[in-house]
Formats: sequence, C-alpha cells, structure tokens
Amino acid sequence: MGVGPAERGRLEVRELAKSFGAQQVLRGVTLSVEPGGTTAIVGPSGSGKTTLLRLIAGFERADAGTVVLSGRGLAGGDTWVPAHHRDVGYVAQDGALFPHLTVGQNIAFGMERATGARARRATRTRVGELLEMVSLDAALAERRPHEISGGQQQRVALARALAREPELMLLDESFSALDAGLRVATRRTVGAVLRDAGITTVLVTHDQAEALSFADQVAVMRDGLLAQVDSPLEVYTRPVDRATAEFLGDAVLLEAWVDGDSASCSLGSVRLAPTTLRGRVQLMLRPEQIRVDEHGPIRGVVLDTDYFGPESTVRLELTSGREPGCETSTLAREGQVISIRHSSAFIAARGTELRLRIEGDAIAFPPKP
Amino acid sequence: MTTDLTAPDARRATVVGTAAAPGPGTRSGPASGRRRPPVLAVIAVLIALFSLMPLGYVAVMTVTTGWETASTLIFRARVGELLLNTVLLMLVSVPLCVVLGVGGAWLVERTRLRGNRFWALALAAPLAIPAFVNSYGWVSAVPSLAGLWSGVLISVLSYFPLVYIPAAATLSRLDPALEESAASVGLGPWQVFRRVVLPQLRLAMTGGALLVGLHLLSEYGAFAMIRFDTFTTAIMVQFQSTFNGAAGNMLASVLVVLCLLLLVAEVRSRGTARYARVGSGGQAAPGRMPLGRLHVPAQLGLLLLVGLAVGVPMWFVVRWVVLGGSSIWAPDELVPALVQTLLYGLVGAAATTVVAFPMAFLAVRRPSWFTRSLELSNYVTSSMPGIVVGLAFVTVSIRLFPSVYQTAVVLVAAYVLLFLPRALVSLRSGLAQAPRELEEAAQALGVRPFLAFVRVTLRLAAPAAAGGAALVFLAIVNELTATLLLSPNGTRTLATQFWAKSSEIDYAGAAPYALLMVVLSAPMTYLLFQQSKKAAGQ
Amino acid sequence: MTSRLHHTLGVAAVAAGALVLSACGSGASGGSSAAGAGSITLYNAQHESLTKEWVDAFTKQTGIKVTVRNGSDTELSNQIMQEGQASPADVFLTENSPAMTQVENAGLFADVDKATLAQVPEQYRPSTGKWVGIAARSTVLVYDKRKVQENRLPASMLDLAKPEWKGRWAASPSGADFQAIVSALLELKGEAATNDWLTAMKTNAKVYKGNSTAMKAVNSGEVDTALIYHYYYYGDQAKTGENSANLGTHYFKHQDPGAFVSVSGGGVLKSSKNAAAAQSLLKFITGKTGQEVLEKGTSFEYAVGSDVPSNPALVPLKELQAPTVDPAKLNSATVTDLMTKAGLL
Repeated sequence: MGVGPAERGRLEVRELAKSFGAQQVLRGVTLSVEPGGTTAIVGPSGSGKTTLLRLIAGFERADAGTVVLSGRGLAGGDTWVPAHHRDVGYVAQDGALFPHLTVGQNIAFGMERATGARARRATRTRVGELLEMVSLDAALAERRPHEISGGQQQRVALARALAREPELMLLDESFSALDAGLRVATRRTVGAVLRDAGITTVLVTHDQAEALSFADQVAVMRDGLLAQVDSPLEVYTRPVDRATAEFLGDAVLLEAWVDGDSASCSLGSVRLAPTTLRGRVQLMLRPEQIRVDEHGPIRGVVLDTDYFGPESTVRLELTSGREPGCETSTLAREGQVISIRHSSAFIAARGTELRLRIEGDAIAFPPKP
Repeated sequence: MTTDLTAPDARRATVVGTAAAPGPGTRSGPASGRRRPPVLAVIAVLIALFSLMPLGYVAVMTVTTGWETASTLIFRARVGELLLNTVLLMLVSVPLCVVLGVGGAWLVERTRLRGNRFWALALAAPLAIPAFVNSYGWVSAVPSLAGLWSGVLISVLSYFPLVYIPAAATLSRLDPALEESAASVGLGPWQVFRRVVLPQLRLAMTGGALLVGLHLLSEYGAFAMIRFDTFTTAIMVQFQSTFNGAAGNMLASVLVVLCLLLLVAEVRSRGTARYARVGSGGQAAPGRMPLGRLHVPAQLGLLLLVGLAVGVPMWFVVRWVVLGGSSIWAPDELVPALVQTLLYGLVGAAATTVVAFPMAFLAVRRPSWFTRSLELSNYVTSSMPGIVVGLAFVTVSIRLFPSVYQTAVVLVAAYVLLFLPRALVSLRSGLAQAPRELEEAAQALGVRPFLAFVRVTLRLAAPAAAGGAALVFLAIVNELTATLLLSPNGTRTLATQFWAKSSEIDYAGAAPYALLMVVLSAPMTYLLFQQSKKAAGQ
Repeated sequence: MTSRLHHTLGVAAVAAGALVLSACGSGASGGSSAAGAGSITLYNAQHESLTKEWVDAFTKQTGIKVTVRNGSDTELSNQIMQEGQASPADVFLTENSPAMTQVENAGLFADVDKATLAQVPEQYRPSTGKWVGIAARSTVLVYDKRKVQENRLPASMLDLAKPEWKGRWAASPSGADFQAIVSALLELKGEAATNDWLTAMKTNAKVYKGNSTAMKAVNSGEVDTALIYHYYYYGDQAKTGENSANLGTHYFKHQDPGAFVSVSGGGVLKSSKNAAAAQSLLKFITGKTGQEVLEKGTSFEYAVGSDVPSNPALVPLKELQAPTVDPAKLNSATVTDLMTKAGLL
C-alpha cells in the first residue's frame, strides 16, 4: 500500500461541511491528528461534534471537504469509501453492544468467521487477550451485555473495536453515560490501552475536564467550526476567545485598561499575556490564579463559602477600589464580586477580610460591546 | 379484525433496549450516506393503497348504486333496527368490558391477591375461545338465549380481555413515585386511584374499548347463533340471498361509517398528555395493597368471571365431544380441515409479516408525517370487518382479476389486509430494539451493510416478528366471515366446518372443531399475553 | 442463531409451496382447463350430507372426481350470474327452484340431455328443458303438541298474518327455503297480498336462522309453531328425536300456498368445460341409483325421478294436495326486494 510508518494513522480533515436540511451543522472543519496521537473534540451540545465523528467514520456523507487517513482518501470529491472498508474503529456513546450475542461473540464479531476447531480456539484466545488488554476478566466472555456494568460495557466495546487493529479509533462521548467515579477509572484504562497500542484516537466529549485530561490535543468546537486546536495547557491558559475560556473552566472576568504589558482593574495592576489589544479590554483570570496571601495587595470581604471537600469556592466582594493606576473611575468598581478557589484547610467565615494576590498572567479579550 | 393491544402504547414507542435514544447531534438519515432510491417508500405506499381497497370498494359501491337507491336502502326501518341494536350493544358492552378489564387488572397487578399469577393468565384465557364457540357453548347451556342481553353477555365474556391485557401491562409498569407523591399531598387511596392511576390507564382503556367496539361491529357467528341482529349478520343474510346485491353493500357502507366513527372517537379521547416517565433515575416496581376483608369476595368474583367466560363454553364443548362419542371424529373430514387451517395460518402469517416489514422499517428508522399517515391508513383498514373485506375482494377479483378469483391467493391477500396491523405493531417494537446505531457499529467492524442488517437488525427483530406472526396465525384460525366468502371450492377450515355443523344444529358434530380451534389458539393467546407485558409502558 | 432463522424460513417456504400446490389443485378444476374427463366442479346448495352421498356414489360408479362448493340457493345463483362465462361451475344443484329460474333467465344454463329429462315427470321440471328437478320438499307447519290443539291450527298459511298468531310462529326468512315459499305465495296470490302478509309477518313471526333452529325452538317450548319443510322433522325423528319429540306436523293441503311443494333443481352450466361429465352427474342423480339415495337414505326429501318411490315414512306426494305452481315462474329477485322492504332482510 506504500504507506510509510510515519503516515500510518495520520488523520487529516479539511474544510468538512455538512448541513441537515436547512441547518448547517459543520461549516468547514479542519483538523490534523498525529499518528498515535489523541485528540479530544470538546464543545457544547449541538456544536456538531458527533456529526464530525460520524463523517470520519463514514456513516454520513459530507457536503464538502476531505477526509484522509494514513495518506488514503476516505471522502472528498469523487472519493467515497464506505464505512465497512474504512478500517476505523468506532465506540458509540453507550457501547452499542449487540444484545443477542455474548461478550465474547461481540468482540469476535468483526474478526474472520472461525470455521473448524483450531480457528475457533484461535478466536477464543484472541478474545481473551483483548479482554485482558482492557483490564477485564476473561470469564466475562460468556456473559451477555445486559449482565455487565456500564463501565465494563464500554471496555468491551473498545475491545471489540480493537479486535480489528484499526488505524484510527473514534470514541463518541464514550464515558458520558458512566457514573462519576467509574468515568475517571475507565477513561484512564482506555487511554492507556490506546496509547500503548499506538492507535490514533479522537474522543468527542462535552466534558471539558475529560478533554483536558485525556488528550494531548484539544479541539474546541463551537457552531460548526473549531475555535481553537492546541495542547490542553495552551487551550486552558491561553484560550483564544471568551466563549472558549468560559467553556473550558470557570473564569473571572473583569473590565480593565491595558497599559503596556499590564492592565489595571479592580484587582489592581495585573500582568498580561502577550496581546495586541490596547485600551479597554476584558480580562480573564482563572479562579485558582487568585491566591489568598496575607501580604497581598488586594483586599476583599467574604460573602459566602462553598466547601466541597478538596477545595472551597469563596465569593468575596472587593474592597480595594481606588488603587493608583486605575485611571477611569468606572473601572474602579467598589463592591465587585469575584470567586476564588482555596484549599480545604481554609474556611473563611462570612465577613472575614482576606488579602489576595494574582499568580500568572491574565488573558485580554476585546471588551464586551 | 385486529387485536393490536399494544398499538396505543407502541404508537408512542421510542427507541428502547440497550441503546439509548439517538444521542445529541445524530440525525435520522440514510445510513450509508448515499441517496438511496426510495424503494422502501414506494413499496410501503403500494401496500397502504392496497390496504385501503375495501374502503374504496365501499365508497365506489355507494356511488355507483346511485343516491336514490342508496337512500331507500339505507334509510329504512330495518336499518334503524340494526342501528339501534348495534348502538345499544356497544353502549352497554363496552363500558362493562372496561370495568371488568380494569378491575381485573387492578386486582391482579396491584393488590396482594392470592394466586395472582394464575389469575393473570386466567383472565386473558377467554381470548383463546372464539366468540362463536363461546356462543355455541352458551346456547347449549341455555337454549333460549336470544336478544340484546344475551348479546351483551356473550360480548362481555368474550372481549373483556381486550381491555384487561393492556390495562394489566400498564399497571405493572406504573411508577409508584407518582402515587406516593399524591398520597403525600393528602389524597386517599380511592382518590389516588381516580386522579393518578386512571389517567395513566387512559391509553389502555381507550385502545381496549376501541378494540372491543370493532370486534362487536364485525362479529357474525356469535350473534347469529343467538338470533341477535347486527349489521354484520344482516350483511351476511343479504349476501346469502343476493350474493353481491346493493342492499348488502349499503349495509356495509353504514357499517364502515360506524367503524370510522369509533376510530375518530378513540383518537380524540386518547388525549395529548405524555405518559412516560419524566426525569432520570430508575423506576421501582409498583406496590401492592392488601385486600383485607375484600379478599374472599374478590376471589369469588374472579372465579365467577372466569367460570362464565371460559368454564361454561369449555364444559359444553367437552360435553358435546363426550356425547358425540367416536363417531364425530371423522378423520376424512377433520384432518383436511385441520391441515388446511394450519397451512392457511402459516402461509398467511408469513405473508403478513413480510408485507408489514417495509412499513415497520420506515416507521422506526425514518419517522415522519409520511410514514405516520401510511400507518394510519393501515389502522383504518384494520377496523374494517372481515365481511366487508371479503365482499370487496369478491367484487374486485371477479371484475378485475378473474384469474385469481376463488383461489387461495385472494383468501391469503384478505388475511394479510385484515391482520396487517398485528404484525406491524410487533415488528415495530422489535425493530425499535435494533436501533440504527447497532448496524453502524457492525459496519464499523467491517461487515457489509446488507450483512450487518441481516446479522444484527433482522436477528434482533426476529423474536418480535415471530410473535407478530403468531398473533396473525391466531387470528386466521378463528376467522369465519371472510373465509366463508372467499375460500376456494373445496376448502374446509376448522372455523367453516364448525359453522356448517352448528348451523344444522349438529352440535355434537361441531364440537371436535371447536375443541381443535381452542387448542390451536391457546398457545398463541399465551404469547399475546407475554408480548403485551413487554411492550407496555414503552 | 442464524441456523434457526434459516430453519424457520425453510419451513415457511415448504408450507407456502404446499399451499400453492393445493390451491392450484383446487383452483385448476375451476378456472383453468379441467384435467381431462377426470373432474368437475359442483356448486351445491342442497344439504351437504345428501350431496355427499350422491357425489360419493357417482365417483364410485364413474371415477369422475367432483369438487364441491357449498352455499345457499341464492348466494350461489347470484354468484354464478356475477361470474358469468368465467364461472368455474359445471353443475348447479339447489334446494328450491327460484334460484334455478334466476340462472336460467340469465341464459347461463345449457340444455339438459334428453335422456335425463325423460327420467323426471313434467311437473318437476320447466318446459324449457334448461334444468331438471332432482328432489322435492313440502311446506309444513310443525307445532308444539303440548301447547296447541289440532283444531286450533290455522287452515291456511295466510291465517298466520292474523293478530291471534302474533308471536306464535317461527320461520327462517334469511334462508332460501322460506324465500321459495314466499315466491310461491307471490305467484299464487300476487304482489299486494304477499306484501301484506310479509308486513304482518314482521310483527307476528319470530325469526330464526335455519329451519332446524326454528324447529328446535318449537320443540323446546319457545314458540308454538314453525313454518318449515317436512324433511327436517323426519330427519330428526330418524336420529335421536331430541329436537322434534314434542312436535306434530300439520299439512295445509287444499292447494293452499302453505301446501307448496318446492322442487330442488339441477342444471348444467353453459360455461362448463366438461359438459359430458356434468350431464352424466345430472343423469346419475335423477336416475335410479341417485333417487334411491332419497328413498333409502337419511335426507327424507321426496324422490321425483325414475319412478322411484319416496321414503316410506313420508306422507305420499299425491296426498299433499299441493297447489300447481310452474317452477319456471318463481321469481326470487322480487321476493328478496319485497322482504327487504318489509324489513325482514
């Protein structure tokens, strides 16, 4: 086939567009995934993530754009490779295990039909290997899908898809249906399996924590376009716009005025990440960037505290209003309320005065119109 | 005539089974992505048109008869008599059936009735006895049985299971949380029943009532035996006197109008409220209340009901069999009748399931106003009495397709038309268990689309398809009027032989046929009972 | 799993095949060309048991197979008329003559063989020779001996219209038998009188489905009398008698319409594809062997052909003083119209 090892599993999606009736769901999505890499496509419901995945899998046909896998065109122009020829693994939201087959039969579904005792033995062995790969007991092979838990079903679905050793694995909200604790464990197992096997993976999720922890590349999708494609750290700390910032985590947004490489606002003078914006801006900080420090320059009074174990979210009203450097009076807002995070040992009673400082850079966005 | 007991609930069926409803972002569209030629849609449309044929026949007949003749034939005293009989019969029988059905269902599903598993099945058992066998048994017991009240007696005893079965299935799936919340607001048990439980039973009650009404309108044998005149008996009499005369056709058109009125009434009374659980979380099993002092009366009441509905006819059938001795078991008559009944039943069931498939597939995979109206046309036809369908086929085949006239093809086609909805309902719920996502998963695993369809979807829908086929089989075994009209020369089925013998008051001779019909129907009734429990509440 | 599916499909295919074959078998004798001289189709409105005896004996003697379609007089006559030239029927047998006249007037009968006609006396067949009588039955009023005395019985059938008979007599108006009686009344007394009588019947008579049921009702004390045909009584008496033990028979005689003797007819259809075999069936039925079935068998209908006497248990035909009615003049279409108008149908 002439596909070099460096190319095996490289996914290239270019300008993919798709409408359903009058509604345009994808408007020109471009994405690259390195061979063996993991990408998470994250976005709110209705942003078109699942449609993108289904286009890559071959269940739907795009209106425009191309999909190329391992240098081989799958869709685009005159090319159309149907789903069953694409060598792409697909794990649906609820696993989509065949209810009329046992777990072992499910896993063996995509394998060559075994005729003869030796071939059947070989299949059984392979099924056992796959179960082990996803950390499941080999005895599960005789059970039916409805007899195992949700997390186990997901892993069986993965094993089933892995049986064919695909070049690309697509996970469609695979962990969304699981309970919180199970979700993390399953995610870790699955991630490890795919990484060890070196299979290119694309995960679709609406949970930003999942996207940030699972993948080495995060693509934020909104309204049929990819707003930002970057590493998890970059996407979280340097979001490209306000909507992306707010989607990926809590954000403290403040009005500010840019002055050189810092901005002034109700928190005083804040260091700014490199930006071309000048004048009035909207400043974004993550709550964990605002620390309690008894020597900090910012003062505030606690309104209420939300203790949730490992941390608390503290809402306080800023009292340091008229600081030198806040030129415009409207910026120096007496009584602005912000939320900060603090570690569990600290529970502030209502009315306590705290002093704060800022860690790291703030991000500047264009001001709210 | 149809017993699509699951129809009212299944019409709202969404995707069930291990797969959740299609996730956000998925749209229903062609799975392969290619623009497939609408073969399925065309086939479905053809089938729908075919199934509207009896209605078209009645309309054409009415028009060609001319208004003058038609009005003299329709607006006469006899029709008034028939109308009065029919309306009175329905007004009395249907509410009785609903009360007995719901009451029985409640006793069995929601109280600590002893032996409730036995009673659950016993209350469904009358369905295994065709109404005309029931009548035969009662006429043997009380020969002077005649008139409206006898008609009511036979109707109620034969048809109350049509309300009982969906009601029981719904009650067993009710969410106790609703009743508990009502109780916590201060409503007493009777009020809770009236304001919380009954509204949820609405679908079962209106659907069951509709079925009872339609069966009443189309029943012939049972009422003929007790000298109770309804439209259907009068049409049959006209047919025997004039074969295809105008008078009979006019009666048929009035009958059709009555059926359509019933349909409309049922649709209206169904209401628009949602009956599925709103909100997440699992559902506990509903609680059972103790009966206390009412326990013994309840047991006695149920015993009386089942005794009258099953005990009396079966006792007399067996009695006639015993009285008749060995002479009534004439193998050269009995065996051909049995074999032909079985063959027609099997072939009819298979044909109906196959014909139902395109429409069921469209309804589940590509729901739209188009598929819904296709289903509606089927539903309308299913309410046509067997005699009207028979008349329609006779006329159409004589005039347009003489080569198939009086052949098995026409009879099987009539069965398909009459019982299509039963197969449809079962197939639909079966296909709902096999959502498109499973086929796609199979394709992603490298299986060709057609093979994926066969190995996954067909395989998953097969049990439900078999269940639907079994129901059609049951219906064909018990069908009398269309068979009398359409069967090819020399055909004998158990039902027609039974009818021939009992018409000559050779009750002993008719007994083996009655017995065989009940024996054939019993397993299918059991299946119907089981299937409706699964489909309810979804 | 799939093997089970295949298995089920296989069974269904076999079943379908078998049914198709059997359908071809029964249909072939009808629509398509008959399989040589071997079989004919009989549209039979006579009692199944009687016809079965005839057909079995006929097949035994000649080897010709007969496929029987059962129905009632007018149902089958109308059906034959609707089918027209495409009718699969070769022979048509009835219980009463109006249906035969109907088919004859539609021009669908072929001429009956002279030899067959010669076997039956003139009064039991039309002069046109298009069909022939095969048996006969007499109208009779059966009455409950416990409730009704002989001298209180009606002298004429027309008396049943009087108010004193309200609710005291039963009949089966949906049956061709009764409709034949009405057609005789129509022929003998005219439309107006018939109309009046039918209107009175609507008020006076209790309606049953089938003569046997009416007779049973009288026997069980439900109703005083019933207007039926004689052989129902004799037939039941010969069996267990449980439906006629309490009954007496009253023959109206004196050429009253109620003494009407109805002729059962047989004819060969012009559309018959096997006319020779059809004619031979008719010849057999009206011949000695066929008529002896009536004499010796359990049908208790009157024999009409080949000088064979009727069953000795019956009142001899001569003694019945039946009115003279030309079988060819009995009109069933008018009768059903009149009965529909009267609200009986």
